[in-house]
Amino acid sequence: MGVEVLKAGLQTTIQSSPRLGRRHFGVPASGPADPLSMAIANRLLGNDLLAPALEVTLSGLSLRFESEASIAVTGADTTVKLGGQAQPMHRTLRAGVGDELHIGAAKQGARAYVAFSGGLVGEQVLGSVSTYIPAGLGGHHGRALENGDRLELHPVRSAVDDCETPAEFRPRMTTSWAIRVCDAADTGLLQFREQLFDTNFAVSNRCDRMGMMLEGPRLRVESDGRLPSAPVFPGTVQCPEDGRPFVLSVDAQTTGGYPRVAQIARMDRHLLGQLRPGDHIRFLWRREQSAIDELRAKIDYWREWLSDAERII
Amino acid sequence: MATDSRVRVCGDDLIGIDVADPGAAQVLATNLRASGKWLDVVAGVDSVVLRFDAALEDVGTASRRASDSIDYRASASSDSRVVVDIPVCYGGEFGPDLDAICSQVNLSADEIVALHTSGQYAVDMLGFTPGFAYISGLDVRLRVPRLAEPRQYVAAGSVGIAGGRTGLYALPGPGGWSVIGRTTFPLFDASAQEPFALQPGTRIRFIAVDA
Repeated sequence: MGVEVLKAGLQTTIQSSPRLGRRHFGVPASGPADPLSMAIANRLLGNDLLAPALEVTLSGLSLRFESEASIAVTGADTTVKLGGQAQPMHRTLRAGVGDELHIGAAKQGARAYVAFSGGLVGEQVLGSVSTYIPAGLGGHHGRALENGDRLELHPVRSAVDDCETPAEFRPRMTTSWAIRVCDAADTGLLQFREQLFDTNFAVSNRCDRMGMMLEGPRLRVESDGRLPSAPVFPGTVQCPEDGRPFVLSVDAQTTGGYPRVAQIARMDRHLLGQLRPGDHIRFLWRREQSAIDELRAKIDYWREWLSDAERII
Repeated sequence: MATDSRVRVCGDDLIGIDVADPGAAQVLATNLRASGKWLDVVAGVDSVVLRFDAALEDVGTASRRASDSIDYRASASSDSRVVVDIPVCYGGEFGPDLDAICSQVNLSADEIVALHTSGQYAVDMLGFTPGFAYISGLDVRLRVPRLAEPRQYVAAGSVGIAGGRTGLYALPGPGGWSVIGRTTFPLFDASAQEPFALQPGTRIRFIAVDA
């Protein structure tokens, strides 16, 4: 019961539930960079929304099935070929023994997700199967997949029905993103706070699961590089003295000393997983309680398709 | 909204509490964590930040709850008598910033190494990445700021200084501290019964060794 990795691509990892409650040891959350897209893939197979699945970054992925399996592909816009046939994203697909699956390069968005009926078998480390590459934790030997790897699948508990994501529940990919933020602990250190909201930032090439540096006019922060180290989280926007902000993502460090100038609202954090170098971001300011009200409206919306949407938004 | 001046909202699901020093931050964080009522409780050098479930709780309620649960009573002395020796190979390719620091602080490389190895150190907190330790006790003459532009790559075992502390990088990755040397001391082993070699309170000596 498993698959063989023919072409692992740029960075393909097994992701599942985040590694929660260990930030005080310096252990980041990890888990899918876009948990919403991964949950939609698992939903198509009747899996737990965070059942271990593959996160495929930018370039493609090729697998060969050694046993029958149902699969689904979601996330970044890409091409899917299974058993020689072009197939749609957002639909339950049946793979036979010997079938090859080819996921193409992402056209928009950064990460595609491939979920498998039953879920992938991964190594559980510090409470989670999610891969955290810097410390070699979880997933498949704590690393990105390599050509020739073999992955095991959990047995399927019940038959998987054919299923398709309704159009209104397919997250749209783009190259230009609007992201809600609230003030953070050091927002007061920004000399021209409105610059943060008037700028059309571009995502730089320094972009990974830990975070991404943004390009744009340099921000001015009143800091001498001697701030006491303080907690940071996925979605924290830090701005070092060089004035180039960076946005922390799912593998974010747990503490840092650069000024925390904004905090991305919880409802939009899943978008970070789809930002790629060259994409543009506008930050939209929200009062904290407004962001929370919008979060709850979004969760209610998604509950119609994902029954426990509050776990992944 | 919170009227307690120590409590600050710092995101739509984050509440910060200002704290006097790292010792107090560790005690407060330990108490708040033990309550089991927060998704994350993370201590900084002079703050504790709490993450709450914004799907279930409003920000005003969470702030008041934070304010009402500030408690500095220590359950047991965290003062550790254990002294851990950390061997460090200073300068050269292992300490690429040592020369730059010489001109910043007006000391020779040998003087910096002598100062760094003669200090009495203690771990203030863990954080950043798995195994990274924030260590207090740095001589005031070695107070340098963080790099204005963080490095994309710092080697595992790197010994950095910034903001009056020494930091030990257990893992390779980006970093913003001036790197003065490197150690082979194993800081983090995920497969071990106790994955983190150092704990808040652990006393440290740095020993200069040759490459």
